[in-house]
Amino acid sequence: MPENSSIDDSSEETGENGRWDPLRTAGRWSFHLKAHLLVLVIVVIAEAIGTLEYSVGPGAVVIIPMLYAVVFGMLLSYRALGAYITQLQQVAPKEVSVISSPMIIVCLMPLGVKYGTLVAPSFWEIVGAGPAFLLQELGNLGTIFIALPIALLLGLKREAIGAAVSIAREPTLGIITDLYGPDSPEGIGVLGTYLTGTLLGTLFFGLLGGLAPLTGIHPLALSMACGIGSASMMTACSASLAQVVTAVPEEQVLSFAATSNLLTGLTGVYVVLFVAVPLINKLYAIMSPIIGGEQ
Amino acid sequence: MERTAFTLNALKMLIIVGIIILVGNQVGYGVNILAALPGMAIILAIGLVSLILAQEIPLKLPAFAYAIFIATLLALPFSPTQDIFLQFTDRINFLATATPILAYAGLSISLQMDRLKQVGWKLVLVAVFVFFGTFFGSAIVAHIVLSLQGII
Repeated sequence: MPENSSIDDSSEETGENGRWDPLRTAGRWSFHLKAHLLVLVIVVIAEAIGTLEYSVGPGAVVIIPMLYAVVFGMLLSYRALGAYITQLQQVAPKEVSVISSPMIIVCLMPLGVKYGTLVAPSFWEIVGAGPAFLLQELGNLGTIFIALPIALLLGLKREAIGAAVSIAREPTLGIITDLYGPDSPEGIGVLGTYLTGTLLGTLFFGLLGGLAPLTGIHPLALSMACGIGSASMMTACSASLAQVVTAVPEEQVLSFAATSNLLTGLTGVYVVLFVAVPLINKLYAIMSPIIGGEQ
Repeated sequence: MERTAFTLNALKMLIIVGIIILVGNQVGYGVNILAALPGMAIILAIGLVSLILAQEIPLKLPAFAYAIFIATLLALPFSPTQDIFLQFTDRINFLATATPILAYAGLSISLQMDRLKQVGWKLVLVAVFVFFGTFFGSAIVAHIVLSLQGII
């Protein structure tokens, strides 16, 4: 089964060594040169364009350089434009994508350090808002109440459980795959949400971060909501939000988002395992006869 | 990958990332590469330690968490290191550190395209509602609790 091996690649427990293998440079320096030069060019172009902002009432569509970078990267990689332009395959062969995958983790280190420098000075504000930080983790369960009925309306069966249980970053993917198996309907469902997040999550949350203040929810609460368990989605969300809001200083938006993201990372596994999975199974049992037409 | 090889490879890759960020930081935010260099050296050192800790400590915490944790300790209001640490790292713009991540992420996405086609459009649509639900679920709870606490 091809799916099996690829799920294992992305899960936490397996391939601790295999995951880093593409970073070996011995005998592969030409691929490395291509990968890193390509990223350098993408970064220079994205930063040269800079942040663009289009106002939409009190909110704004904010396009920060990282959003161009992900789109340029997606377009250049071997399955997109490369599939049609053979010359491009010389510049960005499959090996470039393979090297890029573990490079994401290496690249996260400077971002993590910058987040530390943002979180620490807000230390006392964060301690003060502690109860809100802890309880909003339960707000992540909102996905079950919104996405499960829609999944059932679309005619999905047990796939709906995997798809709607959480935003499905790596820990959830691991839990659902463990509980139900990678080829189960639940496993396919969780894979759908995981992959959609990987492909579109950054763009989605980047745009949402700029528009969310239109709802009237306080910017601090929105900052916390940006911490959804993925470093890149959280960064896109909070950076866009910080551009738009004036009531809360930029540093505080970024630090609240980063803190919430860390908490999601720490508590997420337990919330999914002990709250979300039992809850969605219960709701599925109640709702599927009504909406899904299951007997 | 054994320990020395891992450390060496991680260091090489961190230096590459550091150079890319420094160039982006100059192009996008007008910070001189040489002026930002000492701060980048500190950041890369913390990054290397974090990658190694994630490998060695059997807690299954991502290296990213160690990087945030170490930098937080160094930058806390009551840390003697706060002033000097922030003074150097402030020269590297926050957004400049995020752009290369997404460039690599974009390039790597092709690896997963086949599987996405396999799962179908309905699951993609459901995922979008999952995104909305997660975000606004958290935002509404946080808004209520912050109001009750009198913070907002």
